[in-house]
Amino acid sequence: MAILGVPILEDKYPYTMDMWPLECKEFNRLYKFYEHLKEGRFTTTRCRTCGHVAYPPRVICPQCYSEDLEWIDLPKRGRVIVFTEQVRGVPLGFESPLIHAYIDLGEGSPIRRILSRIINCPAGKLKEGDEVQLVVFPIPSHPIELKGGEMKWVDRVFFAFEPVQK
Amino acid sequence: MARRVCIVGGGMSKWGVREASLWDLVQEAGKECFEDVPGLKPKDVDGLIFANSTAGRRGFQINSAPICAERLGIKPKSICARVDVLCASGSTGILLAYGLIASGMADIIMVVGGEKCYTPQRWEVFYSELATGDHDWDCVHGLGLPPPFFAMVAKEHMKHYGTTKEQLAWVSVINYNYGAENPKAQFQKRLTLEEALNAPEVVPPLTLYDCCPVTDGAAAVILACEEKAKDLTDRPLVYIRGGAQVSLHACSANWPGEHFADWPHLRVAAQRAYEMAKVGPEDIDVAQTHDCFSISQIVEVEELGFCKKGEGGPFIESGQTKIGGKIPINTDGGLLSVGHPFGGTGIRQAIEIMKQLQGRARFQVEGAEIGLTHNLSGLNFEHTIVIYGREPVK
Repeated sequence: MAILGVPILEDKYPYTMDMWPLECKEFNRLYKFYEHLKEGRFTTTRCRTCGHVAYPPRVICPQCYSEDLEWIDLPKRGRVIVFTEQVRGVPLGFESPLIHAYIDLGEGSPIRRILSRIINCPAGKLKEGDEVQLVVFPIPSHPIELKGGEMKWVDRVFFAFEPVQK
Repeated sequence: MARRVCIVGGGMSKWGVREASLWDLVQEAGKECFEDVPGLKPKDVDGLIFANSTAGRRGFQINSAPICAERLGIKPKSICARVDVLCASGSTGILLAYGLIASGMADIIMVVGGEKCYTPQRWEVFYSELATGDHDWDCVHGLGLPPPFFAMVAKEHMKHYGTTKEQLAWVSVINYNYGAENPKAQFQKRLTLEEALNAPEVVPPLTLYDCCPVTDGAAAVILACEEKAKDLTDRPLVYIRGGAQVSLHACSANWPGEHFADWPHLRVAAQRAYEMAKVGPEDIDVAQTHDCFSISQIVEVEELGFCKKGEGGPFIESGQTKIGGKIPINTDGGLLSVGHPFGGTGIRQAIEIMKQLQGRARFQVEGAEIGLTHNLSGLNFEHTIVIYGREPVK
């Protein structure tokens, strides 16, 4: 796989051009968030000391600075507060229509609102108030260079929301 | 006791899609800035702050401040640093320079800012935008370029306050018609309401003229302590009276308002800046507010206190931001027509307010005594305000 104009990068993995997060244990102490996604769970961290729930998840509680955190499940369904739909000029890496929605996860949720992409939804169909649900999908794997130059491939997933079929 | 700080002069490169590198643009801005302060030489400048966000993303250069200084022939002895707050980098540089001069650490600082946004292939221009918000938690959803976010702001403003597409278009028409006379603007184009309303859609309800362009460009200003400023210029002195920078969240899940058209972080910034400057919104004679989108300016005139919450649309439609209106805004064309090379924008705004208060602006607000600049940054997670005056705070 050639990189135009930069032959020295042939077959190299340039993380600085990777649009997805580094999710693995070797690079990210929040790797469990992504492991949970693989199990179909949408999670974040709660502080065992003060009870504060943070999103995005943390390694230290932003309220009391405790390191004693636990993973909790967030609702996997919510309702669309407001959304936008981009049909033309969608940026590289995304498909048309590119739909963004601000989602209300419900009164019982410790994290009330979240911004997410809506997939599996044709243009012109989504409405405010529609129910949407979590959907997890594979994203490209990447290599990590081990001692001795050997490559270890890391599988990754990410999430979006999709309309609940009525 | 803090020393008084003045903005003495400024200049900018031509803004637009430029056949030039970042350092070419910085030199053009620096040259015009020195020409604006005859008698000031690069050797007299003791500090340099470089406002730039993307040299390490849209180019291959970090640690850029010393290189910037070298290109400009400046040998800083008090400060030589880069500041990055994306769209507010320039205003942030000015606030930092204010603090350094007020404290006595520096006497004369050049704040220069700008970006080279265009890369040889256009996909990278937009792809790099995925670094402008919380990359792992917001931008990873494809939320890099800001139009989708501000389209939601517009929809919420329409839903909660009845704002119309025509009112959005009026922001663009007024700002473009100011910019039509500005030779440095990316677009020197007269715009009619009909043309704005019939423009191609970007992300509904935003159309072409509702969105600021991607821009290459740079701008520079000189800040000095009052004593030095008096030696440097015969023009009326323009003082920095106050400012504030507020961030209450970064990931959109933690948005601080009731909805996307409610910007409490801007209200906090405004309150703090007004208190420091010992003025209220009714005292501001001329302003530069961050019109990255037409809807942004509508929310800003409300949250800055120029009109009541929810009335930004009618306020602008009724001509209150034109010369002769309640408060002329973006009198050089704003981001919508001059363009938006992130680090350059706050500095461009400062130049226009300085010229207004010195009585030498293109569209002059007669007798302007107090001016304000405002920026928001990224996906609206920071607000930055600087207040300038013909008189210092007493």
